[in-house]
Amino acid sequence: MKKLLEISLGVVTSVGGFLEVGSLATAAQAGALFDFQLIWAILLGTICIIFLVEMAGRFAAVSKHTIADGLRERFGFNAFLWPLVTTLLVNFLVLSAEIGGVSIAGELATGIGFQWWALPVALVAWLLLWKGTFGLIEKGVSLLGLVTLCFVVAAVILRPDWTRVAVSSMPSLPHHDTATYWFMAVSILGASVSPYLFMFYSAGAIEDKWDKSYLGINRAIAGLGMSFGGTISIGVLIVAALVLGANGITQVDDYHQLPLMLTPVFGFWGFVLFVASLGIACFGATVEIALQQAYLVAQGFGWNWGEDLKPRDDPGFAMVYTVTILAAAIPIALGLDPLKLTIFSMALTAASLPLTVVPFLFLLNDESYMGQNRNGVISNAAVLLIIALGFVLAVVAIPLQIFGGS
Amino acid sequence: MRMIRDVLDKQVVDRNQVKIGKIDGIVAQLRRGRPPRVAAVEIGSIALARRLGPLPGRWMAIVAAKLGGERHAKPHRVAWSKVRDIGLDIELDIDVHKTAICDWQDWLRDHIVGKIPGA
Repeated sequence: MKKLLEISLGVVTSVGGFLEVGSLATAAQAGALFDFQLIWAILLGTICIIFLVEMAGRFAAVSKHTIADGLRERFGFNAFLWPLVTTLLVNFLVLSAEIGGVSIAGELATGIGFQWWALPVALVAWLLLWKGTFGLIEKGVSLLGLVTLCFVVAAVILRPDWTRVAVSSMPSLPHHDTATYWFMAVSILGASVSPYLFMFYSAGAIEDKWDKSYLGINRAIAGLGMSFGGTISIGVLIVAALVLGANGITQVDDYHQLPLMLTPVFGFWGFVLFVASLGIACFGATVEIALQQAYLVAQGFGWNWGEDLKPRDDPGFAMVYTVTILAAAIPIALGLDPLKLTIFSMALTAASLPLTVVPFLFLLNDESYMGQNRNGVISNAAVLLIIALGFVLAVVAIPLQIFGGS
Repeated sequence: MRMIRDVLDKQVVDRNQVKIGKIDGIVAQLRRGRPPRVAAVEIGSIALARRLGPLPGRWMAIVAAKLGGERHAKPHRVAWSKVRDIGLDIELDIDVHKTAICDWQDWLRDHIVGKIPGA
């Protein structure tokens, strides 16, 4: 019974935490321009993240190391610097984009320009980190995130042609805008397979004091939570295709076009639901990414860390998220377009994947960490495929950004 | 036990289980006609910077001495005999607050973090 409760809570939190500015924006753009055709990219990204999250959780539960700890310890400081610097940089851009997402929600709700929201948003998120506990952030914020399920409800109400939805789960070649098509596929993959997601998950497993008895729970949370989360992204894509694309809005290059997505279904409440979804989903991600930056640095250098500690007991850790979150708000406060930043940082995330994914192959097969719980054939095959995909993405992301990015 | 695999870059805690840092360097003593002996472990930014090369090491030593004074001009060393346990973490038989290793965190707490309400 306790296990079941823990699984459902874990699934609920990962569903609530799945949607963020990247998956929302990329799915909406893809749906508007290419109808259902890019559903396969969300599906592929979701399968990849299921495997990576499961492995990150298993690594933490068995070895009692976070992924960042493992990277430093197994590969040494000099090698660790590469994923460290890259991830910090990419996460910083994504964090900025998330703050931008909340700020846009603020603008949509009040009419006050998004630039004015960036610093207040950062301040509230920081306050939650400063005073809150890990449980509050993990459960509270993600529970609120369940509001994003409204996209799934809307998608079902709109009665899409389910045969075409099913057909789109297999990749197919585009009929128009070829470069844009592949660029969107890359940004969708970048949005789904976010290093911050699985690194945060492994730190969470340590914060929640997981041990080997959690391996089943871990598998269920990774599988169910990420699948349901991916379903929300697919919901966004379907709604965008049927509402925006069908009404001639194929180029989503402005956040102001997006709230229209839900109004044909829910009327005025559709607008409210959209603003709430955007605001809450991005706020949750803001808090998690800022926390992940602090985890990464503190774990990499061995400082005291823990969201349940008071800031005075881990001053280095607390200072990292404080500085990061305030610095990330500055570009938005200066008026940088959040949508452009989002799409750019998703492509960059995709390009950075090899650096964070290749180590999984070594860490999860290392007997001294994993003992009997090393990767089996299926997990290893999955990692190899994700690594191959990561290298392809790393090579094509930047050229596609130039030719296919808007 | 293999020093590089099992000791270097591992988490270090003091006798009160406070996380001090990672093993950033290992000091071995060369002895004529006998195998080298591990004398100490090093913790901190200078030891880390030295792993990137002699030049970053020298720069970091200058910066650390400028910021922290004479006590921080060299890497922090803890004698190998203080190693109490090598398991998940490496436990050193020291009290970190009596060393200079976490001076910067103490400074951060006293001058910045502690001044913000709610810390």
